[in-house]
Amino acid sequence: MSTGLGEGVYEVFARKRRGEPLRHIGYIDAPGDELARVYAWKTYDEENWFEMCVVPRGAVIPVNRVEGPWAKNVPEEADGP
Amino acid sequence: MTPAPLARHILSLADTKRLLGIRYSDWLLGSPSIETGIAASSMSQDEWGHARLLYAMLKRLGFDPFEVEHERPAARYYSAPALDHPFTDWAHFVSAVVVVDGALSVALESFANGKFALARSRVPKMLAEEEYHRRFGTAWFSRLAAAEGEGAARLRDSARSMLPTTLAWLLPGDDAHDTLVADGHVWPEDRVRDRCAQLLEGTLATVGIDLGAVEPARDGWDSERRRGPGAPAEEAVERARGDRNRDLFVE
Repeated sequence: MSTGLGEGVYEVFARKRRGEPLRHIGYIDAPGDELARVYAWKTYDEENWFEMCVVPRGAVIPVNRVEGPWAKNVPEEADGP
Repeated sequence: MTPAPLARHILSLADTKRLLGIRYSDWLLGSPSIETGIAASSMSQDEWGHARLLYAMLKRLGFDPFEVEHERPAARYYSAPALDHPFTDWAHFVSAVVVVDGALSVALESFANGKFALARSRVPKMLAEEEYHRRFGTAWFSRLAAAEGEGAARLRDSARSMLPTTLAWLLPGDDAHDTLVADGHVWPEDRVRDRCAQLLEGTLATVGIDLGAVEPARDGWDSERRRGPGAPAEEAVERARGDRNRDLFVE
């Protein structure tokens, strides 16, 4: 079943050291969660990351803006920021 | 001259990694997506880095690493026969990640848990990097197998073609290997088989391959090179030796 915008796209977050905040470092295209983990680790390997996570783009819900890559994830009942 | 069992083992691991790196590098372009090509590139670099570390171990055993890395002809390579020729398609690439890279990981895990101090200290980091190769191979294999049709058939055929010689490479069953086992450098055959089954059996079963029924192909066994007959294609060995850049070496 299609999930609309974000299907196959994963946002990549990482931190260099324990205690640092996770920051958004980019995105990758992958056909599933397991390959997303591998592709993220192999694509963004310029740093010795302490921690890296991937999030399906379709799971990112915007809070204060309704445009941009996650705009379609705004819940239907939302009536603005 | 036949090298001592430990040196033969290290050469076999190093040459297989170097050839695997070359075969992976053939797919930096032309793989199914940019991310897949980047992963193939990274895996290729991993294999070459691991090969370098393994060749360097030979210095401790009295070998000249430069001669080993840059002077040998193809007929003196100890690499697994499944890598003698380029992968024919993407299914072949994926099968090699599961079968050949998987067998290499089992061999390295065995070596890392043996008595050779350099292996105990250096191989664990290789195994951590290999974990991503395993995930990559398993995910892609499952994906192609689930699609059935032509892709699954090619996957099954290429895995079947590589398994018998790769199992023989992993389980030589000759006197030199028995010496390594007796000296505590590597696991005995039954433990290697168990670990191999643990890592590969389920994945291979998705295309109808029963790993337990595959017999190692030891016909024409070359005990010096720890492999069956044949040799890697000369073109690949020229790349492995760095022939085109020979005049630029600065080591």
